[in-house]
Amino acid sequence: MDEIKLYTIIIFTENKPGVLYRIADMFLKRKINIESLTVSEIESQEMSRFTIRVKGDHLAVEKITKQLYKIIEVVKVLEKTDEALVFKELALIKVATSNAEKMRGVEDIVRMAKAEIVAVGSTYLVIEKAGSEEDIDSLYALLKPFGIKEYVRSGRIAILK
Amino acid sequence: MKKMTGSQAVMESLLQEGVDTIFGYPGGAIMPVYNALYDYRDKIRHILVRHEQGAGHAAEGYARMTGKPGVALVTSGPGATNLVTAIADAMLDSVPMVCITGQVLASLLGSDAFQEADVVGITTPITKWNYQITKASEIPEVFAKAFHIAGTGRPGPVLLDITKNAQIEMMEFSYKKAPQIVGYQPNTAPNDRQIAIAAQLLNNAERPFMLIGHGVLIAKAEKAVKEIAEKAGIPVGSTLLGLSALPADHPLFVGMLGMHGNYGPNVLTNQADVILAVGMRFDDRVTGRLSDYAKQAKIIHIDIDPAELNKNVLSDVPIVADAKEALTALVAKIKKNAHKKWVEQFRAFDKEEFEKVIRHETHPEEGEITMAEAVAMLSKKTKGEAVVVSDVGQHQMIAARYYKPEKTDSYITSGGLGTMGFALPAAIGAKVAAPEREVIAIIGDGSFQMNIQELATLAQDDIAVKIIILNNNYLGMVRQWQQLFFDKRYSFVDLKNPDFVAVSRGFYVDAEKANKREQLSKALDRLLASTKPALLEIVVKKEGNIFPMVPTGASVEEVRLE
Ligand SMILES: Cc1ncc(C[n+]2csc(CCOP(=O)(O)OP(=O)(O)O)c2C)c(N)n1
Ligand SMILES: [Mg+2]
Repeated sequence: MDEIKLYTIIIFTENKPGVLYRIADMFLKRKINIESLTVSEIESQEMSRFTIRVKGDHLAVEKITKQLYKIIEVVKVLEKTDEALVFKELALIKVATSNAEKMRGVEDIVRMAKAEIVAVGSTYLVIEKAGSEEDIDSLYALLKPFGIKEYVRSGRIAILK
Repeated sequence: MKKMTGSQAVMESLLQEGVDTIFGYPGGAIMPVYNALYDYRDKIRHILVRHEQGAGHAAEGYARMTGKPGVALVTSGPGATNLVTAIADAMLDSVPMVCITGQVLASLLGSDAFQEADVVGITTPITKWNYQITKASEIPEVFAKAFHIAGTGRPGPVLLDITKNAQIEMMEFSYKKAPQIVGYQPNTAPNDRQIAIAAQLLNNAERPFMLIGHGVLIAKAEKAVKEIAEKAGIPVGSTLLGLSALPADHPLFVGMLGMHGNYGPNVLTNQADVILAVGMRFDDRVTGRLSDYAKQAKIIHIDIDPAELNKNVLSDVPIVADAKEALTALVAKIKKNAHKKWVEQFRAFDKEEFEKVIRHETHPEEGEITMAEAVAMLSKKTKGEAVVVSDVGQHQMIAARYYKPEKTDSYITSGGLGTMGFALPAAIGAKVAAPEREVIAIIGDGSFQMNIQELATLAQDDIAVKIIILNNNYLGMVRQWQQLFFDKRYSFVDLKNPDFVAVSRGFYVDAEKANKREQLSKALDRLLASTKPALLEIVVKKEGNIFPMVPTGASVEEVRLE
């Protein structure tokens, strides 16, 4: 068995109904769990770009890459580790800030973490952070003691180096 | 451009694709298409099956004989779900098929309407491609795409789900075959460098071994296989689905690979120094325990499907190509050679297999008739020139082992899915496709009861399939496993069967029964002489076992003779 690693699989497809279903089915069939998934339209309007993050050994990832080509709508599949990519994820974190002291505490962390406050309520702040999955994880850990009211992440987007 | 209804467009599209026969069953959501078919009935032969699974397998049988996509036409909901097993079967055995299913009105989709089922959803994992047509104007383009996808590259089943409104609406018809599809351009030409490396390996090999599979028949590469084998003196073993690609009596043909294959090819797989695998996919039934499979050999693997390369067995020289193109390129580069000693090694194993298994299986001196004796006799009587369509179980392995085909496309069975009930409808499709050939369905008593209703189809269309029931009154294959691996605990494998002869006659298909050795030869003669569909029930040894056998999880070397 190869080493288990995180891979980013980038799939270019025709923009047709049901493609997401077909792709998800491929991963289901091979019992590969999807860590994150983003889908977007690309330059030419008729195409979609799927960015899928999976954990697995190299052979398993290579096999699914080849099988993805069996989907008629799939045009190109790339399978990369982080070294070959520029990547980002976006997170929105709504933190409880019941008093001024807490608010200051959160502000300090946000500054340190190069995140941004994008909304202010009487009892909360909404923080936006773009960065690697690890950056977001560590920011989350720092904010957790304050009380997290809501939390959402976009899934990875990536571009080849 | 001609104006017509969507249903007429379906007919015109089928004609454009050269379809002359379809297998189907009508119902509410496909009625407009059936209505159009009525006007086309002298151009397109429709065979009315008795269950949609039968339509699917018949389409498969038709495709396996012609190489062209078989067509099945059924209604929505239960009609479509009845087709599912056959679609999965075609997917695993790479059989080109176009399934047309009716669907509720587009305006009712997702409303749990009468006989609505999400057929595209259900069949996505078991089709090469599928699509729901909701507008009549889409029909020509989508049909062209469907036939192109089903029949090219690694063939497979395609399903088109047509909503009822699309069948009724008017549209303007124009057709363009084999459309360009950005994401689908199967590569058929081999890479020259890979071919050169493969040739070099083969030229230096001392114990080369060629493994052929269904891909050889699909690509019509039989001649190329023979040329390479003869030029370089390479023994050839076949998978279950590759059988009949090389005549059984060819001096370099060494038999079947895998679980119930022959002794020599299994054991010697682990002694070959170079393996040339063509159009086969190293299925677990062929390889046995993978970690001990052909580790010593350099492997050249030719397949048109890139996903098959390095899927189960890592190859040293993967070649993505059409089998015929690759072998034709290869034959030019290989040197004349003979590997006499090596081929003799296979023959030595053959002798042992003959003494320990084949002799008493095919020539028992007393007791009940054996399956092998019946099939061997059939093989002789037909000179190996019939098309044998077998069902699934012990009789399937016996048919594969003891029928000795001399012509190509002569052994049709459900390999990948192992679908009981396959043989009768598939034989109907095969006979319709090749009426000039004798088509014989070899079926177990259990399997026969899974699609027995298709006897009515035979009778109605007077399709002269000959049926042989090898009746051991058991789900024999399962019983064998229970005997060998579950302490002879025969859990629900005993069958109280109907009177097959009476049932068959009830369907207006001639039938007789042989249960004594003395009757067998004459009964077979009468069956073969018949010009109509006919059935022969042969009562065989109840607890016969199939050997050799590579038990599940064992290595090919551990193949057992008893
Ligand atoms: C649809 C389906 N159900 C169950 C099985 C499992 N199975 C494989 S062989 C077999 C027994 C087949 O019995 P029969 O047709 O009488 O053939 P025999 O082995 O006795 O020759 C069974 C139940 C199967 N292959 N297909
Ligand atoms: Mg039986």
